[in-house]
Amino acid sequence: MLILTKRQLIVGAASATLLPSGAHADSLPPHEQALYEAAKKEGELTWYSGQLQAETGEAVGKAFSERYPGIKVNVVRSTSQVAFQRLAQDMQAGVAQCDMFSSTDYGHYNFLKREGKLLPYRPANADGMIAAARDPDPDNMFQVFYIGLYLIAYNSKLVAEADAPKSWKDLLDPKWKGKLAVGHPGYSGSIGVMGVVLSKMYGWDYFTALEKNKPQVGRSSDDPVTLMNAGERSVGMGVSLAAPLLSAARGNPLKIVYPTDGTLAVYSPSAIPKNAPHPNAAKLFMEFAAGTGYAAVTSKYFIMPLRPEVPPPPGAKSFADVKLIQATPAEIEDGVPDIKEKWRDTFGV
Amino acid sequence: MRRLKNLEPATFVWVSLIAVLLLLVALPMGKLLLVSFRTHAGGFTFANYIAAYGRARYFESLLNSLLLASETAAISMVMAVPMAWAVSRTDMPGKPLIWATVLGAFILPPYLGAIGWILLAGPNSGVINQVWRFASGASDPLVNVYTFNGLALVMAFQSFPLIFIFVKSALDLVSSEMEDAANILGASTWKATLKVTLPLVWPSIVGGAIVVFLESVALFGTPAIIGIPARINTATTQLWQFFEYPVRVEVAAAYAMPLLLITLVLVGAQRLMLNRRGFVSQTGKGGERRPIQLGGWRWTMLAWCGAVAAVSVIMPVLVLAEASFAHAWGRGLTWENLTLANYRFLLFEHETAVSTIWHTLWYSAAAASLAVVLALLVAYIVSRKLMRFAGLLAFLAMAPFVIPGIVMAIGFYATFAAPPFALYGTAAIIILAFAARFLPIAYANASSAMGTLHPEMEEAARILGLGRLGTIRRITAPLLRRPLLGGWLIVFIVATRELSAAIFLVGPHTRTMAVLLYDLSEAGNFEVLAALGGILLAITMALVGVGMLLLGRDFMLRRA
Repeated sequence: MLILTKRQLIVGAASATLLPSGAHADSLPPHEQALYEAAKKEGELTWYSGQLQAETGEAVGKAFSERYPGIKVNVVRSTSQVAFQRLAQDMQAGVAQCDMFSSTDYGHYNFLKREGKLLPYRPANADGMIAAARDPDPDNMFQVFYIGLYLIAYNSKLVAEADAPKSWKDLLDPKWKGKLAVGHPGYSGSIGVMGVVLSKMYGWDYFTALEKNKPQVGRSSDDPVTLMNAGERSVGMGVSLAAPLLSAARGNPLKIVYPTDGTLAVYSPSAIPKNAPHPNAAKLFMEFAAGTGYAAVTSKYFIMPLRPEVPPPPGAKSFADVKLIQATPAEIEDGVPDIKEKWRDTFGV
Repeated sequence: MRRLKNLEPATFVWVSLIAVLLLLVALPMGKLLLVSFRTHAGGFTFANYIAAYGRARYFESLLNSLLLASETAAISMVMAVPMAWAVSRTDMPGKPLIWATVLGAFILPPYLGAIGWILLAGPNSGVINQVWRFASGASDPLVNVYTFNGLALVMAFQSFPLIFIFVKSALDLVSSEMEDAANILGASTWKATLKVTLPLVWPSIVGGAIVVFLESVALFGTPAIIGIPARINTATTQLWQFFEYPVRVEVAAAYAMPLLLITLVLVGAQRLMLNRRGFVSQTGKGGERRPIQLGGWRWTMLAWCGAVAAVSVIMPVLVLAEASFAHAWGRGLTWENLTLANYRFLLFEHETAVSTIWHTLWYSAAAASLAVVLALLVAYIVSRKLMRFAGLLAFLAMAPFVIPGIVMAIGFYATFAAPPFALYGTAAIIILAFAARFLPIAYANASSAMGTLHPEMEEAARILGLGRLGTIRRITAPLLRRPLLGGWLIVFIVATRELSAAIFLVGPHTRTMAVLLYDLSEAGNFEVLAALGGILLAITMALVGVGMLLLGRDFMLRRA
């Protein structure tokens, strides 16, 4: 899997059948039923996640437990780099406590795969996903349940629609000095990928110019949402599609902009560590995440569904109508550590 | 064989006590020192030190920490010394308010105070700046928390109680005779205060300032929450970066060594200072103490104390409370913005929040119990001179005081995470780390309590045939119940809010509230975070209330 094509993002499986999302345990398809029996003995799974917001992650856990009663999901939400840091600490200490690892930094998976730290599994339900998510890894060491779109958002009380930035380039305009907010590649995986892609397009000069506008640097890519809600900053850079839409649905004055020079698509894998203490629950979770139930729950929280049966959330364009910018896995793995260093030199933190 | 027979069972307890102290205190620090000189293959190297200090940015972080801590200590001094003087020496009204402030500032976890101040003094959305803009029509902010001075101020708001407690207890021992003598020789009240009273307590002012300095250098939460947006890197946030992938424990250990060295030197200096404190109080004659009549100045002093109360406790707690009941904190106090959703989310929808509350309570209780038992045994041995090397035990019990929490956590990670102990991700590693970290508090408490106890009651029990351990259990411990309970509560409370020692040691099943608060702060989720902080504060206040009922109003603020 290299760069995603439009076709892969739109085309669903020909044989896609709509699974009822609230299917009860006694009506599970046979492959899920078998796993469920094995997973019930394990009783729980622990999910290190840097992909979804805390609230969305908890809702996914709840939906999973409703579909498969008796199995609890411990969501350990943090930024992707912190999630990986915890996994690395576990590994260094020789302790197994993570069953599912989801981050927005593709490099993590290349690394873990090379080191032989992953348990191969391909959920049967993945057949019904859009083409881009169906077979991300030839060895099935990881799967993709989340393709994050990262773009620009603004506080519509502080910025008129006509004045709002239209592109990443627009953010360099001095009129945004002291008004921007952005996450940190040392914490957020997607901001690391954003660094790779934007410096590929415009050179690192883009960020030295951005620094002159004194953006407020937080940690998570969604940090700016809080700052915009409060009116502390008026424009957020590299925020996920989901966070401002969810926040706006709750009455906050936020609007999103699909940048004309491209919306950042971050292809975000999930994997089961080889030493996962609850491997069957983890496999079952993969089946769930590849199915319609997961797509239906997450789309309520404005995550782009990867099942063709579930429409994009209100206020979001379909993948087909968006100009996407991306980095290859190799560019991400080689580029992100470098971006972190450069970022710290340029921004001072 | 004969000699073994003559050994009391108590001896085995002493030996195992020494073993436990070595394990909890000496081993992690020794391991840290060792690791800092070791290559991956196990050979000897200086490369870790070169990696740790080879970049200007890393070095600047340490420098930032030292500057920040100095400024924090200086501001704390300015805040706390007049307060301590007013409470101890004058007829200023409203002293209970001051006690409440100091106590409040002490129990408010630093990272919560930091977030309170982001809500208050964010340059655009902060409440203070909004009011200022509305009132003055200006467009520039009045205050900005995201600056070096802003960070130092917020840290000072959190740490001034330490200086207050030191200085107030020293002032309590100065008799009015000294001031009288100065007055007779023609000095005004102010002159007598500045030239006589304050110089007499100068060692405790400096001693308190050093403690604030050390606490500030080792602080992790506030620098991460305010420092990153303010673009200020500190030693503790830098240490955190060494734990990014690839985890470089050995570089972190090397980076921590100068921090440890600075701490050691300063604690030595502080000891020297505080040892000189005695010359005023130990006159043997009961010097008379009269409050100084301040006249109209009473209100000036009260205003100063009120201002400190406002900035350190009242304002941050109010905005946090407001945020915890708000949909979006920036939208202010309106009906549409009021909600219980944040509390509901934590208590009923969040799969792990309730269990983190439970973890926090029982880890802290276990750690406090362990620390108090260890401290009591060590204090007993030391005060009854039961062993030749009792002094060494006392040293081990006090040593964690000089180890910054985050450094201690790295030592614990390096020692206990991997086999043979393999404690990473268990409750045990956190309980042990908390117990070791707060052992000095428990020990200071237990040893001063032991000092009040004459051995004759124990001797009576021994004569009547009770063994050594039976005596401790049936006589000593019950007699010391109140002070020990006080020590237990203090350790418990500081453990419930401990972040820096927990951050590297928690696993997914052992998260504490402090760590969950930190995770929530990563995504800037201040409303939910404030609600969790509210729950933590409510629990702490309830316990402080229990302590006050059982032990008297000032149990947390007595200087051991």
